[in-house]
Amino acid sequence: MVTTENWDQSVMGSSRRAPTEDWLGYAPTAGASDEVFDANSHVQPHWRGFLESLSLMGLPELTRRWVEAKHLIRENGVTYNVYGDPRGMERPWQLDPVPLLLSPTDAKVLEAGLVQRGRLLEALGQDLYGPQRCLTEGYLPPELLFPNPAFLRSCHGVRLPQNRRLHLYAANIGRSADGGFCVLGDRTQSPSGAGYALENRLVLSRVLPDAFRECRVQRLALFFRTLQDTLQTIAPHNRDNPRIVLLTPGPFNETYFEHAFLARYLGYTLVEGGDLTVRDNRVYLKVLGALQPVDVILRRLDDDFCDPLELRPDSFLGVPGLVQAVHAGNVAVANALGSGLLETPAFLAFMPALCRFLLGEELKLPSVPTWWCGEPRAREHVIAHLREMVIKPSLASIRMEPIFGDELSREQRDELAARIRTRPQDFVGEHRLILSTTPVLVGHQLQPRHLVLRTYLTAHEDSFVAMPGGLTRVSASSDTMVVSMQRGGGSKDTWVLSDGPVSQLSLLGPGGVPLEITRGGSDLPSRVADNLYWLGRYIERAEGLTRLLRGVLVRLTETSGLTETPELPVLLRAVTVMSDCYPGFVGAGAELHLPAPEDELLSVIHDSKRVGSLASTVNSLWQLATTVRDRISNDMWRVLGDLSPLRVDQRFTPTRERGNETEASSPENPSLARQASEEEAENHSLASRADEEVSDNKHNVPLTLSDELDLLDRVVITLAAFGGLAVESMTRSAGWRFLDMGRKLERAQHTISLLRSTLTTINNPEGPLLEALLQIADSAMTYRRRYQGSVQTAAVLDLLLADESNPRSLVFQFAALADNVENLPRDNSAQPRRSPEQRMMLSSLTELRLAEADQLADADETGNRPQLQELLERLNANLPALSDALTQTYLSHLQTSRHLSQGLSIRVHEQ
Amino acid sequence: MLYQITHITAYEYSASVSLCQNLAHLTPRTTDEQQCLQTSLSISPEPAVLSSRTDYFGNQLTFFAVQEPHRKLTVTANHLVEVTPRVPIDGSLTLSWEEVRDRLRASRSRDCLQAYQFAFPSRHVPFSNELIEYARNSFVTGRPLFEAVLDLTARIHADFEYDPQATTISTPIHEVFQQRRGVCQDFSHLQISCLRSLGIPARYISGYLRTMPQAGKPRLVGADATHAWVSVFCPDIGWLDVDPTNNLQPSDKHVVLAWGRDFDDVSPVKGVILGGDQHSIGVSVDVTATEEK
Repeated sequence: MVTTENWDQSVMGSSRRAPTEDWLGYAPTAGASDEVFDANSHVQPHWRGFLESLSLMGLPELTRRWVEAKHLIRENGVTYNVYGDPRGMERPWQLDPVPLLLSPTDAKVLEAGLVQRGRLLEALGQDLYGPQRCLTEGYLPPELLFPNPAFLRSCHGVRLPQNRRLHLYAANIGRSADGGFCVLGDRTQSPSGAGYALENRLVLSRVLPDAFRECRVQRLALFFRTLQDTLQTIAPHNRDNPRIVLLTPGPFNETYFEHAFLARYLGYTLVEGGDLTVRDNRVYLKVLGALQPVDVILRRLDDDFCDPLELRPDSFLGVPGLVQAVHAGNVAVANALGSGLLETPAFLAFMPALCRFLLGEELKLPSVPTWWCGEPRAREHVIAHLREMVIKPSLASIRMEPIFGDELSREQRDELAARIRTRPQDFVGEHRLILSTTPVLVGHQLQPRHLVLRTYLTAHEDSFVAMPGGLTRVSASSDTMVVSMQRGGGSKDTWVLSDGPVSQLSLLGPGGVPLEITRGGSDLPSRVADNLYWLGRYIERAEGLTRLLRGVLVRLTETSGLTETPELPVLLRAVTVMSDCYPGFVGAGAELHLPAPEDELLSVIHDSKRVGSLASTVNSLWQLATTVRDRISNDMWRVLGDLSPLRVDQRFTPTRERGNETEASSPENPSLARQASEEEAENHSLASRADEEVSDNKHNVPLTLSDELDLLDRVVITLAAFGGLAVESMTRSAGWRFLDMGRKLERAQHTISLLRSTLTTINNPEGPLLEALLQIADSAMTYRRRYQGSVQTAAVLDLLLADESNPRSLVFQFAALADNVENLPRDNSAQPRRSPEQRMMLSSLTELRLAEADQLADADETGNRPQLQELLERLNANLPALSDALTQTYLSHLQTSRHLSQGLSIRVHEQ
Repeated sequence: MLYQITHITAYEYSASVSLCQNLAHLTPRTTDEQQCLQTSLSISPEPAVLSSRTDYFGNQLTFFAVQEPHRKLTVTANHLVEVTPRVPIDGSLTLSWEEVRDRLRASRSRDCLQAYQFAFPSRHVPFSNELIEYARNSFVTGRPLFEAVLDLTARIHADFEYDPQATTISTPIHEVFQQRRGVCQDFSHLQISCLRSLGIPARYISGYLRTMPQAGKPRLVGADATHAWVSVFCPDIGWLDVDPTNNLQPSDKHVVLAWGRDFDDVSPVKGVILGGDQHSIGVSVDVTATEEK
């Protein structure tokens, strides 16, 4: 969905040419121009300083630093989602440590050309969404406008704030064999990559701090400050302090990381379509229990997805009524809706003439030579020169992979020519370029790769300013010119060298204007509150289950038989109840599992296909964390990264099915407990899928219970670290309260259910079970300090239920919940009485405070504890009710939109 | 002929709707043959937002939003429209269809471009080889454009059966073509695809049709309906209407509401709701010639 990446592509031989100077053994490919060496194989002056610095450091040191940097990238969670990638939602961002260097002269040429191109596209947009003189005057064929789905008729004639359509524009640039730049494509609706460019810069300036300083690299911050200023000036209301949001399609989008990153960097709220609503012709953000007006939307959603009412009806990623709000002039959308039209590939063929017509200027920066086959002469030219052409669709809406003329056989070329003649208007021919090369680090060597530079412009006054830098992408090998993150290519930082002073502005540090002191942050979208709440619940659910499993495994490793651990069957049954992994130790087959519980336990830990298992809980937790990426600090995110051993898609093979133990422990079989790298994980899961039919036993796993214990220990510590960071470093905003309520509610439920499945009926002897409960509830130390050796039910119940000083006790959870509920944003004038959730908390809290541990511990003649049973049931019933009441009060506008049936009566038939 | 038209669209929901946003094409156009003397839209519950703008095709488009919880929405349009009878065109006097096609492709005059935009596929009107082939039987070499159009209109009327149960709004035209049944909207989309795929500009017209009671029976109030037909561009003459559902050239019984590329551009009422669960829709149209009153 959303962005189609069309890069210039080609294939060529890879013979090397020998440079006259040796710089770390780098030798560019023959036939292409190179960024480092000029045509005479001399190093370009602007690379010299950098290469000297790199030589001084040496490639081994660069490699060492690079390993660290990769770690940083992974820990920061920089990702690029690729649909259908087995690694699913997050694939680590590919970055190369050698930046692309642009000389001040080149940068000036580029900037002048791109600023003009920005103005040209702006003028073209104004014309096509206005008088369409380009058509009547014959500068653009109507066949490229009328059937073009990117032309949004409902956005025609809109009066745009400041009369600006493009606020952030990007162009893909290549350098051809003659050394000149040319534009390969324009990105005009919601260009991606500016955030990755920034992230690349943050990483590179840490890896190569000396080179970065010595090369006098121009900073990026000023560019983003200009973007902020521009977005502020287009606000139709509240121009002094407009509310600006960044609209994302959501975490499934391939560049979601970037959306979250940019939102945080620019200080905008990250929203999804469902977070916004149109009322009274204005756009509002749905925050907890309220609606806040939105003035500017920086969108990362494609044009036609933005409004299901007036644009594409089959998607609800957008905001119903947005087009109407735009027509009413109450909201500015950047870039303006409909701007995707300007990305139409066939427009490239008409740029020089359009530039003369619209701007009265000659085009400074050429496009890649392009011919639209809808014109007979152009079509014949393309067909006559097919070998030198890349054939592409003329409109972005036509789905087609680029075809390289020189890869085709004679028959295939004839077929292609016939295809073009049948529907000539659907094709463009593009001259196949040989893109320039630049060094990348491969292993310990520098190797040439072809590159495409994407750079960005932001509107400023009545023109544009260019980013001094950009996102450089390189091909996956020197043999291919396919430059695409989707196809495994990499990226680079882009250093524009300065011949003057370097601006030191940083958006992260103090700015020029004193900030207004605020303690708000009341812009929490309801959806985010909901996700934080569930994140809290899953974290606690994972922790509770891990502690229980650990308690069980400890007993299994320390003893040799069931006779020494009479509490074990009760605990095993509790594992099934708490994880909801039935039948397990409770239902059918329980009598088989109970004497040899290892397989079932391993399955509850690792089998991610089993809903409720630890692995599946951690997966859910991770996905939720992804949706609130912009609300979680980098440290918290890194902590969650430590859970990856459980997230690896492990296929669980029970030991009972193993052929024999020696084969199972052979070294090529990965250990479940081992920290598998992402790559290995992929290989493993792919391999196991491929092997599935051959043998179920091949991927047996040499596991020891102590490995598992180590793993569970680490998980407990990781989750505790996350909780600690949440307590220590999150402001007590509504967002924190929802996260905390999720945790407390889940912990309460967990404790209730643990006590219900262990203590409501007496199991003799009860001592070992009580010991286990104290351990699982992390309260053994407190207990021992208070009561020394003697373990009694009443004392344990008091500590776990009613002791308000014990952070693991039930009453502590209810007290914290009551406090959170009390402090949620509430319209007190409208509701003088206590809200339903307040009343619910009060009654549970009172009941717990009044409970007598001695009475609760009393058993009747059948060995049951009726008072304990009843209390736990009442408390348990209140928790889902609280959850519902919170949803009702704070999250109720999280309904989804639907279309009405369209009214057409159909009885007309006159005979 | 002077018509008083009442067009009611009513939605009922099984659960409360907290927000609905709608677009209506319910204002009759004024054209050479028709004058809209009065028109009004009344909506219940009272909408919080009601605003009009002219859409890309020159139709009056009304946006309205109900922002209070409701279980029922009623949109009532009342129009008073005067329609001048149109004289049927002699198709044999028009240019050949190839000449029309070529002139539109070549011309960059504003009038021709205005027409030419209706010569391309759109959401409900894709092109297909089977429809080109079907059209080719009428569009033989050198045949005058409108003669061929009338022939195609007659063939669609003869080959297809009117059957309100056979299709819905989302039935694609290739299915309509295969099963040879459908309603006015389907026949119009189908004929438009035939024409456009040959390079002839054709637009979709949404409007009303005045129906006559069967002999000896009283006219039923509300028995009329919204209707759809086709308009074809003929250089030097202008847009010429045909009704494939009834195989005729509209004279003074057709009242135009709006036109566009297909149904999607001119849907009388469409909307997006929040909440509502199940919903049902009822539409009634009453077209009364004022002298009958």
